Amino acid sequence: MSKLDTLLAGLARERSTGALQVGRSGTIFLADGRVTYMECAQTPSVERLLAARGLTTETALRRLRADGGCERLLAEGPVTPGELQYAVLGGVLDAAFFLLPVSGTRPKFRPGERHWLGGQWFFDVPGLVRECARRRAQLARIWPSADVDTLPVRPLARLPGHGVTLSRVQWEVVVRADHKATPPELAKQIGRPAYPVLVAVRRLAASGLLAAPDLPNRRAATAARPPHDPGAAAQPLGPPVTGDPTDLALLMRLKKALEELS
Amino acid sequence: MLGIDTCLAEVMSIPGALDAMLVDHTSGMAVAFSAADGVDADRSAAALTEALRATTDGLARSCPGEVVRIDDMLVTTDKGHHLLRLLETVFEGPLVIYVRLDLERSNLALARYRLRAISGELAT
Repeated sequence: MSKLDTLLAGLARERSTGALQVGRSGTIFLADGRVTYMECAQTPSVERLLAARGLTTETALRRLRADGGCERLLAEGPVTPGELQYAVLGGVLDAAFFLLPVSGTRPKFRPGERHWLGGQWFFDVPGLVRECARRRAQLARIWPSADVDTLPVRPLARLPGHGVTLSRVQWEVVVRADHKATPPELAKQIGRPAYPVLVAVRRLAASGLLAAPDLPNRRAATAARPPHDPGAAAQPLGPPVTGDPTDLALLMRLKKALEELS
Repeated sequence: MLGIDTCLAEVMSIPGALDAMLVDHTSGMAVAFSAADGVDADRSAAALTEALRATTDGLARSCPGEVVRIDDMLVTTDKGHHLLRLLETVFEGPLVIYVRLDLERSNLALARYRLRAISGELAT
């Protein structure tokens, strides 16, 4: 359990109501010991996602936030109660996935504070932690290396085959990938939660559709002199040892392919 | 207009319904489920999501030149009918409504009709 988990579990035990600010990374809102809303700097907010679907604008939502709140949002009718619940549910789980592992900042608790979109869905803290762990395991099953989560997404320029099927999110990722944006940045551009984008990118990696990551070429310096040159670096005994992540990724892919064969 | 919990209650009121579950298709998480003994909702949700994904993949290859959009999927076993309905939501999606129906006591056409009506009330 990380420090933030422990702190949250404590707040849940005391049935606290308020907002827990985690540095600049995000805020967790609790009511009566249960999490009602969560925002994270890395993931798009529920307001942003609703606006991205073209149902309403962020300005209109800010106005509602100041006057009328959730009741008025539902009464005016761009979303149904079920959709709003589902939106908050997805948004909170998405934020939790990125926010709960954050460490190094001293969280500050402000009692009594509520979020205007809170109160749609109530999460118990252990359930939230369990779901995040399940999602992490799911990502690892698709593609074991977490490198692709933080590096720019670079789809191959040519398909190494004749055809491929892409899911909807994968399509959006491939269309938007500019070889500079990382998966969370792409999620904000597309207007989707970050987790589905991570899933899509890992599936692309597993299908071998992403270019290998750029890594500093460490061999260049030593390969300058032939091995029989007296000035060359001494050759290590035994097979060459590499801790190169590309080799690791290759091994993982081989392992996955062999598992699929059996 | 329905909320998630009321939607589940509506699904359970379909004649012959034994079990119902709402699944988030993206993560394979059981969002809400009717509590029946011995049902592992989390694993069931994850596996059904995989089945839907594999079906979409298979259909994409069997209907070349088409964009596949599944409305619903039906599996009949010797004990009952299993109906899955995919529901586009404005936000994330799709949300999957799963219902298990008694083989003898259910009317499949009625169940499909009701499920479609319920989806219409859950999402715009």
